[in-house]
Amino acid sequence: MDELYREELMEVYKHPAHRGKVIDPTVEVYEKNPMCGDDLILQLKIEDGKITDAKFSGIACSVSVISSDLLLEHLRGKTLDEAKSISKEDLLAIVGLNLTTSRVACATLSLTALHKALKNYEHKNA
Amino acid sequence: MNISEIKKDFPILARKINGSDLVYLDNAATSQKPTAVIEALVDYYTNHNANVHRGVHTLSEEATEMYEHARKTVADFIGAGHVEEVIFTKGATESLNRVAFEWALENVKAGDEILVSRAEHHSNLVPWQIVCKRNNAELKFLELTESGELTLEEIKEKINSKTKMVGITHASNVLGTIMPIKEISKIAHEVGAVVCVDGAQAIPHLKINVQSLGCDFYCFSGHKMLGPTGIGVLWGRKDLLEKMEPYEYGGGMIDVVTYQESTWAALPEKFEAGTPNVAGAIGLAAACDYLKKIGMDEIREHEVELNKYALQKLSEIPNLKIMGPLDPEKRTGLVSFYLDKIHSHDIAAVLNNTGVAVRSGHHCNMPLHKQMNVAASTRASYYLYNSTEDIDKMVEGIKSAVKILG
Repeated sequence: MDELYREELMEVYKHPAHRGKVIDPTVEVYEKNPMCGDDLILQLKIEDGKITDAKFSGIACSVSVISSDLLLEHLRGKTLDEAKSISKEDLLAIVGLNLTTSRVACATLSLTALHKALKNYEHKNA
Repeated sequence: MNISEIKKDFPILARKINGSDLVYLDNAATSQKPTAVIEALVDYYTNHNANVHRGVHTLSEEATEMYEHARKTVADFIGAGHVEEVIFTKGATESLNRVAFEWALENVKAGDEILVSRAEHHSNLVPWQIVCKRNNAELKFLELTESGELTLEEIKEKINSKTKMVGITHASNVLGTIMPIKEISKIAHEVGAVVCVDGAQAIPHLKINVQSLGCDFYCFSGHKMLGPTGIGVLWGRKDLLEKMEPYEYGGGMIDVVTYQESTWAALPEKFEAGTPNVAGAIGLAAACDYLKKIGMDEIREHEVELNKYALQKLSEIPNLKIMGPLDPEKRTGLVSFYLDKIHSHDIAAVLNNTGVAVRSGHHCNMPLHKQMNVAASTRASYYLYNSTEDIDKMVEGIKSAVKILG
């Protein structure tokens, strides 16, 4: 757990590059973790089958913020199929932290939101 | 009370967590167990295990006697008028659900009102929601003051002739507030309403006498009061319990069974279908004996001192906000707090690095956090084995969390 609070990750937590709002988002979802009170809003801009912009906002703990930011960094420019194929294991590898069970749920909140957003988008365009 | 001697009674407190001594401040979630309780369980399974109320062989007789003796111990501990008013359940949640579905569902009619406070744990809120929905009754709320207290005016205003049930916590698991059960019971009884108390957070800390409280049902868990998990109690007034229909049927709870119909056993067996948690009941009785030996008044006095100390130390941390009453006498042994910019999970995780265990989140009380506009809070809840040094370690940890994350 100590590694979580190392300086570079705290920098991501304090100044996440991808926190904010997308202008004219294609899809927006709200996801929460009822166990800890995390609230996450994820917005995606999808153009020509690619994710061209993605931002998150809401109230969340450091694990949730860091993983959201790193996920969205990874997401930029990905096709919808590529985005859909990101697994929990992929995300945990991206985050690179050895998390305890309860905090894996914090880390994967953004991924749950992403999959929900992609599903909503497909549904809308089906 | 000699805290360092008491600590020795709890083997788990000798554990190291992340290289530091364990500082256990999550007692409102569950308490640790003294050797006396652990040994009672081991002794039961090692020497006496058998099914109860079933056989004539020696072990069955012994197990039955121990189980019924445990009921007597618990009845004495809560000042029950009759031993058979003590129904063993799996915990406060089951006890509350039993009152909801065995009493309220039958007695609360369309247009009636069920009244609960804004501070209820989900387990003393959701069952009433369901009863109201099924019976077209209305769920009403007792509002709290800004400091998380309940005034007599509010109680008098909300209880009326339509009120059939008041569901109220004896002590809030988030705010710590001790609720005026005696006064509520008196006012409720004037209009013929029944009072069901969630005592889960009170019974570990306060001397309880269900008769002098004047309530009709008192529900609690064993595991928050040094007992094992999986055992709890529904205490109810005998005349009410006798009229209630059980919602679980099967072995142990019957009087006469034919292929077509059956009649029920007398109290308390009527409400204890199936093989009960014999070991759990024996463990709970051992916990009652242990608490009695230390003294509930002494425990209360110690926790008020810890409240004073914790409230003082926490209020010195900039931007930290304390939830609930600031008067240490008005709360049980817990304090919840939050920092605007730091999520409670992060505080709890940093604290865990130095062996300090606290709860973070909304503590099974989502609507109250929402109403207070707090996303999540951190809760430190202490017990007889905690000391001011434990509070110091927590305060140090919070300060270092602020340094890292602020």
